[in-house]
Amino acid sequence: MTDYIPARVGSVTKYVVVESFDVTPADLAARAYEISQGAMIKETCFGLVINGQPEEVDRLIAELRSVDPDHIFIKDRGFPPGDSRRCRANLGGARPGYHGMEYEMTIIPYVSHGLEILKDNDENKIAAPENPLAHRVLDISRLKKIIDAEES
Amino acid sequence: MTPPVRIAQLSCGPEYSGVQHEINTAAKEVNGEIFYPDIALKDVQHDFDIFGLDVRSPDLRLAIARAKALVEGRVEADAVFIATCFRCAEGAIVRNELRHYIHENSKLPVVSYSFTERTTSGTLLTRMEALTTIARRRALLARETQQGITLGLDSGSATTKAVVMKDNKIIGTGWQPTIEVLKSAQEVISHALGEAGIQRDDVQAVGTTGYGRFLVGKEIGADLIQEELTVNSKGAVFLADRQHGPATVIDIGGMDNKAISVMDGIPGTFTMGGICAGASGRFLEMTAKRLGVEITELGPLAMKGFAGRVPMNSYCIVFGTQSLVNALATGSTREDVAAAACHSVAEQVFEQQLQEVDIKEPVLMVGGTSLIEGLVFAMGELLQTKIVVPPYSQYIGAVGSALLASGFIKDD
Amino acid sequence: MAKVFIYPSTSLILSDMVARYGHTPLSSAVAIRERIQTAGFESPPLQITPEEPKKGLKWAAVEVPSGVRGRMALYGPMIEACEAAIIINDADFAFGCMGCARTNELITFLVRQKNIPKLDLFYPKSEEEGVRFVAAIKRFLAGLGGSK
Repeated sequence: MTDYIPARVGSVTKYVVVESFDVTPADLAARAYEISQGAMIKETCFGLVINGQPEEVDRLIAELRSVDPDHIFIKDRGFPPGDSRRCRANLGGARPGYHGMEYEMTIIPYVSHGLEILKDNDENKIAAPENPLAHRVLDISRLKKIIDAEES
Repeated sequence: MTPPVRIAQLSCGPEYSGVQHEINTAAKEVNGEIFYPDIALKDVQHDFDIFGLDVRSPDLRLAIARAKALVEGRVEADAVFIATCFRCAEGAIVRNELRHYIHENSKLPVVSYSFTERTTSGTLLTRMEALTTIARRRALLARETQQGITLGLDSGSATTKAVVMKDNKIIGTGWQPTIEVLKSAQEVISHALGEAGIQRDDVQAVGTTGYGRFLVGKEIGADLIQEELTVNSKGAVFLADRQHGPATVIDIGGMDNKAISVMDGIPGTFTMGGICAGASGRFLEMTAKRLGVEITELGPLAMKGFAGRVPMNSYCIVFGTQSLVNALATGSTREDVAAAACHSVAEQVFEQQLQEVDIKEPVLMVGGTSLIEGLVFAMGELLQTKIVVPPYSQYIGAVGSALLASGFIKDD
Repeated sequence: MAKVFIYPSTSLILSDMVARYGHTPLSSAVAIRERIQTAGFESPPLQITPEEPKKGLKWAAVEVPSGVRGRMALYGPMIEACEAAIIINDADFAFGCMGCARTNELITFLVRQKNIPKLDLFYPKSEEEGVRFVAAIKRFLAGLGGSK
């Protein structure tokens, strides 16, 4: 067994995903380089990967979000940018998480639309979405019990 | 250096069991390279639906789609490694169906494995070596006749065997229990050479196999050092004269068992099991000892008995033996007990290993245990087929090594 | 600021929503990062060692497959730490950390056992559903109080 010595301890990495007609990953990268104070920025096909100290990354993503708030989405990443353990070039194929993200990218336009509408609307006045837990089909024997209870 | 063999991994769970590194290490040691077939999400959704096995785990769906990409040639690979968690029913179903699907629809060699967090690269090494050998050395494995004078040595966990071959015939053999690996090897080689009437210097090429293959191979300057899965397959079809078409090779060894599905002498899918001593030759040795007979007498004794008359509560070498002792104490005959022991070993191999390969006739049983006719009979009953035990079956690894080694004879 | 468990824990959408509205999302990435940044024995790619499935015994018995227990070593502590949860019920294509259906069943069960605010949703499939989806999350998170 070989010892493992971690790199970039204490740093955080975030994906900044842009799904917009107005802003491209390249635009976002240009903006990020402009305002970065030492964070590592890597441009990818879907946006950016940013690595740095937590405060610096927080500041950076807050500013980047403001570029197109309804169309920029951010999440944590476990690995720093370009880590060979997760790199497509080394694995031969995409890391499994990529497909999950690919799937959510098909949903994101609806979420963006939701964010746009909610800018000018009170969320409390909007109907609740379908409740998955209420979706269960009532068991036939339970239904009979309910009917029997009503009749007696 | 030759480019690494590209092994496509179809799996669920190894990264989270802490064993992915072990898989990569085993592959790397035999110049293999693990990779994940690259497909898009739409392929996953589409191919999963088409395949029609409605599993819930997304990673298994991904494995199914990747398997389809391999079979349809959208992604190129030299070999396939299928791995899911031990004790996962869903994973086991997918593992078996994918192995079967790839085996039937492509020429890719496949090995499937169910791991636990205790799986190490050492456990996987022989399997990976066989995978890369089949992928890389098809020309070598295509050899059907032995030429010149060659020596094959099988340094097994229980016994060491040697054969000397000349012009496609076995002319000398040597056999003894493995005590000191190198010393046992030297002694069986001397015996085989003596029987053949050949000097060591006359031997034109040497091959080694078995657990001690690296150590012995280095010591005696072997031309070919090869794992026992491919070597035994070759040896079995050579000795049984079934070099063409399908065959199944079963080798119940001293420390592990092999079940190999062979086509034209080359393994397609195979399994190796080595977790339970109750499914090994060791169990039969212990039974023979308890019955006060030589291991060579156990087979004929078992043939006179009926296994069904002895209740066996466990396949375990400890508790199973206890059942046998209890049976003796309550009046069971030695014949029935011998038969029950043979049935127990055969049944465990049948249940736990033979389900992982496609059984195609002829079924060849090889290795030292194939000489125990009660065991061969029990296996034949379970598989509902007449099992073929080729001549010299206990020398299978040594014969396969000698056969393949003749590919290394230098033309001078 | 509440710690909100998200399911699927790899979700970009949920992770973003929770952080956007001022709370802390508990996601797979954070658990993986913890391992990537801790010294120990080399076990790429995720730095999950064979010790993890043993730690997972706290949530699943030894006859449960190692992949489930290894994953539970990531999620168990997050489930214990969470103060609220958002669960998407039709996350059929969340791979990798969320790639095992048995683990996912156990995770959602353990989260549902907890007496904490929970929001159950489906992924939106139209713009209209998108509006309801975002509104529901915004309402839910505002109800947790203490957002930054």
